[in-house]
Amino acid sequence: MAVTVDGELVAFLVLSAIEVLAALMVVVSKKLVHSVFWLFITLLTIGAIYLLFRTEFIAFIQIIVYAGAVPVLMLFGIMLTRRKIMEEPHEPE
Amino acid sequence: MSGHLIDLLGWSEAIAGFLLWLLSLPLALGNWIALQVGAPSPGPLTGVIGWVTGPDLVSFLGVIIAINLLLLWATAFHLLIIMWIERKMYSRLQDRRGIMIGLGSSEILRRILGPIPLLGRPFRRPSHLGTGFLQTVADGVKLFQKEVITPAKADRWMFHVAPVVIAASTLMLFVAIPWSDGFWIMGSYETHFINGTPQSVPVNPWGILVILAAFGIAPLAILIAGWASNNKYSLLGGMRAAAQLMAYEIPLVLSLIAVVVLSGTLDPFEFVRDQSRPLTIGGLTVPFLPNWYIFHPALVIAFVVFFITIIAEAERIPFDIPEAEAELVEGWTTEYSGMRFGIVFGFKWLRALAGAALIVIMFFGGWDGPVFTTLQVPNLATLGAGTVPLPVLFQEFWFTVKIYVVFIVFVWIGWSVPRIRIDQILNIGWRRLVPLSLLAILIAALAGGLNWL
Repeated sequence: MAVTVDGELVAFLVLSAIEVLAALMVVVSKKLVHSVFWLFITLLTIGAIYLLFRTEFIAFIQIIVYAGAVPVLMLFGIMLTRRKIMEEPHEPE
Repeated sequence: MSGHLIDLLGWSEAIAGFLLWLLSLPLALGNWIALQVGAPSPGPLTGVIGWVTGPDLVSFLGVIIAINLLLLWATAFHLLIIMWIERKMYSRLQDRRGIMIGLGSSEILRRILGPIPLLGRPFRRPSHLGTGFLQTVADGVKLFQKEVITPAKADRWMFHVAPVVIAASTLMLFVAIPWSDGFWIMGSYETHFINGTPQSVPVNPWGILVILAAFGIAPLAILIAGWASNNKYSLLGGMRAAAQLMAYEIPLVLSLIAVVVLSGTLDPFEFVRDQSRPLTIGGLTVPFLPNWYIFHPALVIAFVVFFITIIAEAERIPFDIPEAEAELVEGWTTEYSGMRFGIVFGFKWLRALAGAALIVIMFFGGWDGPVFTTLQVPNLATLGAGTVPLPVLFQEFWFTVKIYVVFIVFVWIGWSVPRIRIDQILNIGWRRLVPLSLLAILIAALAGGLNWL
């Protein structure tokens, strides 16, 4: 199978690499906010890959709905349900 | 419909061609020297010269130059002007003598406009010379000189990433906003039949969606910025900002759908082309009025909702509880210093400017405006041979004027009303604006079904 190397293939490979790495970072990150940020990067790169498929509508809807709204909803869920969201400088005794 | 002055992509390609020609000069010299010392006929560097001055590289560099020119025009230039306008306007509204002494009361304006009865009254004050415009430049220089401080307990990495995301998403807004039929970078030319004659017109089928996507990224970056500062005021400001932006994005999109239902497109160019026809309501043509959507009775509710949500998206004063400086120091921007503060703070103004541009494109006819006369000037592209038409009031002029008028209305509202509490903001957003925007969609769909437009 012959694969033509052009700009789109390179862009696809770079975006896929970023996406896979970011998806790994979602799982590996110690802090939840970091995970949410990497989730945002993952969803944004998926939108960019949709652009490579010439499906502009679904790409921009992906960015509006997934990259824009879902991470914020998750952050709200996390922040409003956990008592401690970041290490305190000094714990009161 | 007036013509456009600036052909951004064409001009940028001309600049790129010139730069690459300059770059190819030493190569051509080397080729000539090689030919003199006895190299075979076309010369060893002919291929490289052909590649450097070839169409591929010229168009690639042209697009990059066009992007930079448009972003510089939209951000650096207009940021200074809108900051200046805001200062001057609110000092007029609140009678702050120190700031307002510049605007309109400069000696020239006092002499020209002062004697006019009634209208000239604001200009009759004793004045200093100058307009105070350099104050904004001085602010920028001051911010550049300040130290960039990262708080000791901050989450360093996120703290530095958040302004980048905010700046990038704001610049993404300006990528999709065209300034005229020729001053844009996102889009392409297509041949449309207008009144039976084929014309090459710009199209960008998803322009409005790109703008919405760029507005949608901001809440996450703001929340991360507030969290990473590790300061309870920043975090509160960030939470408030994210909650507010999330709540107001829904009526923003819904009221936009009401317009899209009637116009049937998401293309900013198509919006403006549709609005430059004569106004027709229910089969009757209204004389002297263009088909701006603000004039349509079916879109009044959509306009009101859209206007309010744009003010909230830009975090301007009735809705600026995220940075309420009386209670939260400076909100989610508290811990940023130096130029990083300049970015996160200045780009709020830019989002207001982009919102004003969106309102103008959607409701006020974009760059449509009367053209009074057209001059014939020598064509520079052919070195003076032949003439090209130059409109006296071109599209960029109308678009910029309309944006500034809408922005001045933002300032007027912002400094006339008190800011409202966060729970009231969210109540207005979820309980009033969402049903109102649904009603706007219903009315627009009815009007479209009855063929009013």
